[in-house]
Amino acid sequence: MLTNVLLLPITVPTAAALLILMLPKKFRAAIDAISLFGSFLILLLSILLFKRNLSYSMPALGFGIEFSLRLYHFSGFIVLAAAFFVFLITLYSNAFLREKSYSKQFYVYLLLSLAFINGAVLSDNLVSMLFFWEGMLITLFGMIYIGGKRSFKTATKAFIIAGVGDLCLMLGVAICFYISGTLAISKLHIPISGIGGAAFILLMMGAIAKAGSMPFHTWIPDAAIDAPLPFMAIVPASFEKLLGIYFLSRISLDIFEMSPDSWASMTLMIIGSITIVFAVSMALIQKNYKRLLSYHAISQVGYMILGIGTLVPAGIVGGLFHMINNVMYKSCLFLTGGAVEKQAGTTDLEKLGGLKKYMPVTFICYVITAASISGVPPFNGFFSKELVCEGALERGFIFYLAAIIGAFLTAASFLKLGHAAFLDKSKNGKLPIKEAPIRMLIPMIAIAALCVLFGVWNSLPLKLFIQPILGQERLGGRDFSGMPHNSLLVVITIMVLLGALLNHRYGVKKHGSGLKAAEHIHHAPVLSYIFNKAENGYFDPYNIGLNISYGFSKVAFLFDRAIDWVYNVFIIKVSKVFTAAARSLNDGSYKSYIIWSLLATGAVVIFLIKSMIGA
Amino acid sequence: MPSLLVLIPLFGIILLNLPFRRLNEKYVFWFAVFLLSVQILFTISHHSLFWQQGMGYIDSFFKVDFAIDSLSFIMLLCIAIVSMVSLSVSRYTIPDPRERFKFINLLMIAAIGMNGIVITKDLFSLYVFLEITALSSVVLIAFQKDMNALEGAFKYLILSSIATIMMLFSIALILLVSPGTSFAVIAAALKESPNSAVIIFAMGIFICGLFIKGGLVPFHGWLPDAYTAAPSAVSILLAGIVTKVCGIYTAIRVIAFVFGFNEVIKSLFMFIGLFSILIGALAALGQKDLKRLLAYSSISQVGYIILGFGTGTALGMAGAVFHIFNHAVFKSLLFVNAAAVEKRIGSSDLDRMGGLSYRMPITGSTSVIGVLSTCGIPPLAGFWSKLVIIIALWQSGHYMYGTIAVLASILTLAYLLLMQRKAFFGKLPKELENLKDLKEVGPEFTLPSIILAMITISVGVFFPFVFDKFVVPIKSIFMQ
Repeated sequence: MLTNVLLLPITVPTAAALLILMLPKKFRAAIDAISLFGSFLILLLSILLFKRNLSYSMPALGFGIEFSLRLYHFSGFIVLAAAFFVFLITLYSNAFLREKSYSKQFYVYLLLSLAFINGAVLSDNLVSMLFFWEGMLITLFGMIYIGGKRSFKTATKAFIIAGVGDLCLMLGVAICFYISGTLAISKLHIPISGIGGAAFILLMMGAIAKAGSMPFHTWIPDAAIDAPLPFMAIVPASFEKLLGIYFLSRISLDIFEMSPDSWASMTLMIIGSITIVFAVSMALIQKNYKRLLSYHAISQVGYMILGIGTLVPAGIVGGLFHMINNVMYKSCLFLTGGAVEKQAGTTDLEKLGGLKKYMPVTFICYVITAASISGVPPFNGFFSKELVCEGALERGFIFYLAAIIGAFLTAASFLKLGHAAFLDKSKNGKLPIKEAPIRMLIPMIAIAALCVLFGVWNSLPLKLFIQPILGQERLGGRDFSGMPHNSLLVVITIMVLLGALLNHRYGVKKHGSGLKAAEHIHHAPVLSYIFNKAENGYFDPYNIGLNISYGFSKVAFLFDRAIDWVYNVFIIKVSKVFTAAARSLNDGSYKSYIIWSLLATGAVVIFLIKSMIGA
Repeated sequence: MPSLLVLIPLFGIILLNLPFRRLNEKYVFWFAVFLLSVQILFTISHHSLFWQQGMGYIDSFFKVDFAIDSLSFIMLLCIAIVSMVSLSVSRYTIPDPRERFKFINLLMIAAIGMNGIVITKDLFSLYVFLEITALSSVVLIAFQKDMNALEGAFKYLILSSIATIMMLFSIALILLVSPGTSFAVIAAALKESPNSAVIIFAMGIFICGLFIKGGLVPFHGWLPDAYTAAPSAVSILLAGIVTKVCGIYTAIRVIAFVFGFNEVIKSLFMFIGLFSILIGALAALGQKDLKRLLAYSSISQVGYIILGFGTGTALGMAGAVFHIFNHAVFKSLLFVNAAAVEKRIGSSDLDRMGGLSYRMPITGSTSVIGVLSTCGIPPLAGFWSKLVIIIALWQSGHYMYGTIAVLASILTLAYLLLMQRKAFFGKLPKELENLKDLKEVGPEFTLPSIILAMITISVGVFFPFVFDKFVVPIKSIFMQ
């Protein structure tokens, strides 16, 4: 009976979602209350479940496919984090979505997503995990789709890209089953050689596609513009990171037997480094608050993948710590973006400016979280980034360099964003702008405070959440809390941050405004060409895929014409010939029928006698 | 007591024809319905006492095998279902009660003949029952007594007599080596003297006689003319069951249980089967007449049955029998719909039809199911039987035959979709638009259509169950 408690993280959000679905749109207060109460209930539940070890199993389809759940430290942590952010986002959305017609659908999708993510994280069977994982695809599509008239295209794009990732995952699951004959995650131990390597690549692609890493990232900037803002704060910023990185570390640490000197580790680090540098460069040149943030949502995944990919304790702890930190500051940054959007009516940086005066609380939250994401001590992002850097340096200088470049550009782009939105002179005619309502401020303040807390007292999250995931054996008795151990790295980081500040000053002076502080990088000789191409979607795998499929369709069309010819011309001619023959055979005269039959009988008899006597 | 399947209708008909003609004309329909439904009920419940009880003297008189196997059950079920449908249609198409009385009598005689064919275990009795069926069919084809009907009936009569003469001659020759005419005796005798030219000649002409009865290419000449000339109710009966029982079932029974398989006979059957599939389908593709198109389609489908049977494996033969059942269901369905259309627009010319689905929605939509099942579209019944046949072909190593059989189902799709589009989809032509009573004919047509469509769907959807209950037992009887 006790094990059935494990079903509650899945059933409670589903029940709440269905309840909301049944209510008419008019009962706005009831919908808000149910969603808030439901998410609060799940938060309480996940707090109670945290630090427990439970499992639950129910035979489902046979062939090793079971509905089995397993709660242990890591999954309990992810469930807790997801519930916490859903609660805060629901509180925020209650205010933010007040005038929106789609708020009911949003809550339904949000709660269903929570049920799916809980199911996927708790599943101890690859197929039941796949079931919940694929369920997220539906809510992903739905949440983007409700954003507005133009969002259908983006929703389709997200759906297809995520679907490709899920397909990889599905194939990987099939290969895993083929290799080891079991689907139970806790029983899988696969060496990454031969076909096991293919399984690893496929599962990894599924995981990083969910996390939104390159090259599966291109829907996120589009969704930032088209989808409802709370969606950005909860799905790409929180859910997908939590689930994707959770699964990535499961496959890297538990399912596959990997060592730091394997090619798989190298692959992960390369993907991570590329994602960090390229996504953040794109962020630097954005001129829209939300779109800029969305590129950071991609670039930060790079740190996590890099950290986990190093497969050394410092890197893994750093990667996982960065995951939870990123979820915090990134969703808070999106929430400040939402506050700006709601109060100022736009997120276009060309039209924003001087908000510091009107929205001081939002500004403070922005400053704290931007400092966190840029890795300014003593905020949480600093500590996790230092750990990732330490791990990366252990594996190779080039990876460390990528992390440092990322840090530089991150700091530069947030200086630019903050300067343009909050400090520059106001360009907006609609004055005065008021501070955001209290229900939107509470989540922002809470998360910003946590960012400070997790930084200053970093032994709390590290000892409570992160380090037990690896266990004492893997940690080798080391403790990563407190100040970074390698003070040289800290000095370099601080120098890089100062460099970013100087660069910003230089840019502002040269171009005269915060918005244009990065123009000198944007318009640097070779870079401008690349940036322009990238902005126009030349490097977007989705567009490339679309072009390929257009080409394929053209070939298929010609092929289709050919087949049409066969059907419309050739077959008709042939059938006319045959019909004519059949007609002449069936000339209506019984004499010819008799002759045919008798001739055929003769032939049959001769055939039988000849071949049977011969034998 | 399977003999009762022959005896009760026989005495019933004799009694009905003696006194009280007027009264009997009223009730003969319900009498026939009652008999056929009893037959359906008994065949569905295999294990009832009815089948296990012998009748001693009577059984031996009819040379009836009272221990009936699954193959015969399926055939008895098909006979009852199709006859029932034909009966239902006749209630509308033959309004005059006196005429209908005659029709039902003949129908029951045909049913007696077919039941007899299925339950007998004696080659000569088989011949007698074949003749009973053939003669009643001839009269049924000529029922309308117009020029076309008489011509069709005459052709069937001539060809059918040639077939029976060949069979009778064959039986006479077989008696040269066999002490009796029962299946078991002949089978034992043939085993001892297999390779004499005379016996092979006898087997050859017997098989060809069956081919004529079954309407396989190139023995099929009579079939399109007869199907087209016959009244609708009779077309259903002929296409659905008569040719299958007289030709195909008999071939299966006689080859598998009496003559015995060998490679030569297998290759002969497979060749004839494939030839019929292709010629039937190609000829159907160019037909302008709905009933004629269905007649050629029938030839093509019978080809599949013979092809599956020709593999000689238990699975192939089970698939063939399953396809007989499915064919009986979906072809009767299509013929019922054809009859409904013909009744309403007074012709079966496809060029004069179009858009009939708007006015006859039930006919149109059940026709879609029949068409899809014929083409072998999953999950309808026809898909599974074709699949079983093709798997059997593949397993027995006849890859070429298997491939062509699959490709030929594209041809099936082509001509049937053409038919469906011309008749039921698209726009109503001008001259039909003014036709006032262009609507569903009535429950006599729609009810059988719906029931047959439901059977097609449910057999397809519950295929695992059907496979267990019907196909596996059939497979097991061929295993021996």
